[in-house]
Amino acid sequence: MRKHTNDRLQGTLDMLVLKVLASQGRMHGYAITLRIEQISASVLRLEEGSLYPALHRMTQSGWLRAEWGASENNRRARYYSITPSGRKQLAEEEQNWAQLTEAVTRVLRFV
Amino acid sequence: MSWFNRLSNLLYREDLGRELDEELQFHIDARVRDNLNAGMTEEAARRDARRRFGNWTLAEEKTHEMNIIVTIQTVGQDLRYALRSLRKSPGFTALAVLAMALGIGANTAVFTVVNGVLLRPLPLVQPERLFLISYQPRLGPLAGKPSLSDHDYLEFQRRTHAFERVTTFGQDQVTLTGAGDAVRLPAALVTSSFFPAVRVSPAMGRTFASQEEQPGAPGVAVLSQELWRSRFAADPNILGKAISVNGIKRSVIGVMPAGFAFPGDAQLWLPLAVGADPLLSAYRPAFGRLRPSVTQRQAQAELETLVSHLPLAPGEHRNGWAAEVLRLQDLLVGGIRKSLLLFMGAVAFVLLIACANVANLLLVKASLRRQEMAVRTALGAPRSRLIRQLLTESAMLSLGGAIAGLLLAIFGVRALLALAPAGIIPRVAEIHLDARVIGFALGLGAVTGILFGLLPAVQATGWELRTFLSQAGRAVTGRSEGLRSLLVVSEIALTLVLLTGAGLLLKSFLRMRAVDPGFRAENVLTMTVDLPESLYNTTVSIQAFHARTLEKLSNLPGVLAAGAVNWLPLNGALMWGHFHIYGGPPMPPGYMLDKPAVSPEHFRVMGIPLLSGRAFSDQDSSTAPRVAIISRSVARTFWPGGDALGQRITLEDHPKPPVDWLTIIGVVDDVRQQSLTKKAHPAIYQPYAQVKRPFFLNHMTFAVRTARPASLVTAMRGALREVDRNQPVQSITVMTDLVATTTAESQFQTRLIAIFSMLALLLAAIGVYGVLACAVAERTREIGIRMALGAEKSDITRMVLRRSLLLVTVGVSLGVVGALAVTRVLARFLFEVKPTDLPTFLVVAALLVAVALLSGWLPARRATRVDPLIALRWE
Repeated sequence: MRKHTNDRLQGTLDMLVLKVLASQGRMHGYAITLRIEQISASVLRLEEGSLYPALHRMTQSGWLRAEWGASENNRRARYYSITPSGRKQLAEEEQNWAQLTEAVTRVLRFV
Repeated sequence: MSWFNRLSNLLYREDLGRELDEELQFHIDARVRDNLNAGMTEEAARRDARRRFGNWTLAEEKTHEMNIIVTIQTVGQDLRYALRSLRKSPGFTALAVLAMALGIGANTAVFTVVNGVLLRPLPLVQPERLFLISYQPRLGPLAGKPSLSDHDYLEFQRRTHAFERVTTFGQDQVTLTGAGDAVRLPAALVTSSFFPAVRVSPAMGRTFASQEEQPGAPGVAVLSQELWRSRFAADPNILGKAISVNGIKRSVIGVMPAGFAFPGDAQLWLPLAVGADPLLSAYRPAFGRLRPSVTQRQAQAELETLVSHLPLAPGEHRNGWAAEVLRLQDLLVGGIRKSLLLFMGAVAFVLLIACANVANLLLVKASLRRQEMAVRTALGAPRSRLIRQLLTESAMLSLGGAIAGLLLAIFGVRALLALAPAGIIPRVAEIHLDARVIGFALGLGAVTGILFGLLPAVQATGWELRTFLSQAGRAVTGRSEGLRSLLVVSEIALTLVLLTGAGLLLKSFLRMRAVDPGFRAENVLTMTVDLPESLYNTTVSIQAFHARTLEKLSNLPGVLAAGAVNWLPLNGALMWGHFHIYGGPPMPPGYMLDKPAVSPEHFRVMGIPLLSGRAFSDQDSSTAPRVAIISRSVARTFWPGGDALGQRITLEDHPKPPVDWLTIIGVVDDVRQQSLTKKAHPAIYQPYAQVKRPFFLNHMTFAVRTARPASLVTAMRGALREVDRNQPVQSITVMTDLVATTTAESQFQTRLIAIFSMLALLLAAIGVYGVLACAVAERTREIGIRMALGAEKSDITRMVLRRSLLLVTVGVSLGVVGALAVTRVLARFLFEVKPTDLPTFLVVAALLVAVALLSGWLPARRATRVDPLIALRWE
C-alpha cells in the first residue's frame, strides 16, 4: 500500500476520520465533524472546510468508499464508509501514533 | 473507481464541481439548522456556520486538487507496479513484446502501403469528384484497365450531362534531346480539358488551348516542376523556348507546380488529338469531374443509357461489354488493390496468432501469481482493482509491442517495397509513415492489449484464498489449462488457414513457371528502339535503319543470330486484328489475332519451332511476292486437314488485289504473346520488309542469340550508336528476365504470404511448446506417481505427445473448415490450381502436425527425466 508523506497534523486528521468511520459505519461529512467535536470534548476544533480535501483524498486512495444517499431530513448527502484497506491504514496509523506518544511521553518523563 | 473513470472525471470537472458544491452546501445548511435549533437567530446561525467552515473557496480548490493528484498518483502507481512486475520476468516480457512487435509490425508495414496507395487522396483538387468512364469488353486484354475508345469518348463528351468536364489521356515514354544528354521521360498526352478537369493550374505560363489539340497545330509542351529544375536549371525565361521531344520542336508554354506528376510520374505533358485518325480508335482511360450534386450512381445510370444509343459500325456488336463509372483512384490501384487487401487479411491472422500466444504467456504467468492474487483479494483489494492492475500490465506489453512494431514496420515497408517487382506498387512516393500510420499502430496496441489481457486478468483474479488454501498450495490445473489449450487450438487453426493460402499460391506460381511460352528464352538478349515519326517517317527509312542495325548486331562477336520483331512476346504490347481467307468463309465473329512483323532470323533467334513449310528469308523483300507464316492454332482452326501452305490470305478489311494478298509459306508453333497465364493467341507473321505502314515498324525489338547474353549489353548499345547516335535505347533486357517479370507479381504475393505464414507457424510452434511445457511442469507430481507405479519412459512420452497430437488434430480440423471458407478469396490469384486443392491441404496439414509433434517433443523428453522421488517430495 502506498503511503502519503503526511505531515503529522494531516495524519492525525486522517486517523480520526478513519477511527470514527470504523466505529460508526456510514456517515456524511457534517456528522463526522460533529462526532470528532463530541468525542474530543471540543478540544480538537478543526476548520470544518479542511475536512473535505481529506475525505476526497482518502476516497481516491481506496481507504473510504463514498456514495450519495438521503440525509435524516431527506436531503441528498454524500456518505462515507471505511474499506478493508482503510482499516489496515487505520491500524498502521494507530500503531505509529502509539509509538510516537510513547516516545514523547518517555522523553518528557526523563528530561 | 477505476483510473479510467478517474481520468474521465478529469474531463468532466464541471460535473465534479457541481457535486462538490452540493456536498459542501449540505454541510453548511446542516450546521445552520443545528444552530437554529440551538436557538440562534437566523443571521447568527449563518455567520457561525460560515466561520466554523472556514474558507469555502480554499476547501473547494484543495478538494479538487486532491482528486487530480491522487488520480495521477494511482495511474503512476499502476504503471510502476506493472513495470516492476514486467522487469521481474525479463524472459517473459521480451517474448511477449517480441510476439506483439512481429504482429503489429507486419500489420503496420502493410497498412503503411495501403495508406499510401489506397487511402491517401490523389494530389488533385477534390479528387473524390473525379470518376473514370469506361466502356469496353468485360473479358479480354482490356479487362481490369478501365478505358473508352476514342470514338465513344467523343460521343460521350458531346452527350453527357452528369459530368461538367471530361478528358482522356495516354501515357508514353518520349525522348527529350537538346537539354543535356538525350533522355527517355515519362510523358502524358492529354486533351485541353485535362488540366481544367483536375483543377490544377500551372505555376508558370498556361496549359493547352483547344486548338492546340488539332493535328498540324504548332507543337507545344508543359513541363513538370522537377523537369524544369533538373534539365533547364529553373530558367525563369523558359516560356516560349523550344525543346525537342521525339525529334520534334515544341515550345514550352507552361510549368506545373511542384509535386504534380499526374498521371503516373509524368514529367512532360503534350496535347492529345483524339480521334484524328478515322481508321484507328485507341482505347484510353477517360475521366471527368461530376457536376455538383450529381452522384456516382446517377452518372452510372446516364452512361448506361448513353452507350445503348452509341452508333455501331455495320456488323459490329457489343455483347458482353460493360459500362462503368469508377473512382479515379481505381485506375492507379486497380491491379494492386486486391493483393493489398489479401496481405491485410494475412497479417491480421498473424496478429491474432500473436495475441493468442501472448494471452497464453499471461495465463501461465497468472497461474504462477495465483497465490499473490488470492492473498491480495483476502486483504481486501477489490477484484476490479486487480484486473485493472493486470490490464495495465498487458497494456504496457502491447504498447511496447506497438512501439517496437512501428520500428519494425519502417524496415518492413522498405523490405516489402524492395521485394515488390518494379512498377507493381503505384504511388510509391506517397508510401511513408504519417500520423495515420502511427495512430494505426498505437490503436492496434491498445486494442490487442485489451484483447489478450482481459481473459487472463479475469481468469487470474477469480480465485478466493479459501479455494487456494484448501488445495494446500498444490498446483491447480483445469480451468486455465483448458483455456490455454483452446488458445493453442485456435492458433493452429489460424496457422493452417494461412499456410494453406501460401501453399496454394506457391503451387500456382510453380505451375506458372512451368508453362512453355512457345519460345526458348535462354541466351537471348533484347533491345527495344522507338523511332520518332518526325525523323523516320517513311517505311523505307525505317527499314533501312533496321537492316543496318541487324547487320551490325549479327557481326558482333559471340552473336549466333540476330533478329527483330515489332511486338516482342510478353512485352505487354498488343496489336490485334482480323484477317480474311481468299475465297474463304467470313471469319467467326470476334475472331482476332496477333500480327507481328518479323525479320527472317526471328524464329531462329527466339527458338520458335517451324512446323512445316519454310521460314522467311532475305528474298522476301519489299518487291517480292508477299508472304505470311501462320501459327499452329490458325492452321488448326482454318485448315484442319493440314493444307494451309500455299493458301492466300489478307490482313486488310478492304484488300486491293493483288498487292494485299499474302501466300502462306510456313506454320510455326504457338507463342504466348500476352502472358504466361493467358492462352496463346493465334498469330500471322509478316516479313518486316513487306510491311507498308510506318506505324507497324517504328517500334522494334532486336533480339540476339548468344552464349552469354548479359556480357553483350555494351556492345549492343554501341552497335545502335553507330547506326544513329541520336536514338536512345528504350529498354535492353535479357529475355529470361522478361519472362520472370511476367510472373513477378505472383512471385511477390507468394513470397509475402509465405513469409507471413512462416511467422504464424513459428508463433504457433511456440504456443504448442508453451502449453505442453507448462502442462508437464504442473503434472510433475502425477508423472512421478505414474513412474513410481511402474510406467515406462515411453509411456510418459506417449502421454505428452498424445496431448500435443490431440491439440493439433482439433486445430487442423477447425483450420481445414476455416481454410475451405477463406481460400475462395484466392481464386482470382490462382493459375490452374483450385482453392480446394486436396494435395495442398494434405501437405499443409502434415506439415503442421509434424511441427506440433516436434514442439511437443522437448516437453515430452523433459517429462521422462522426472525423478519420482524428487517429484513426490516436490510439493
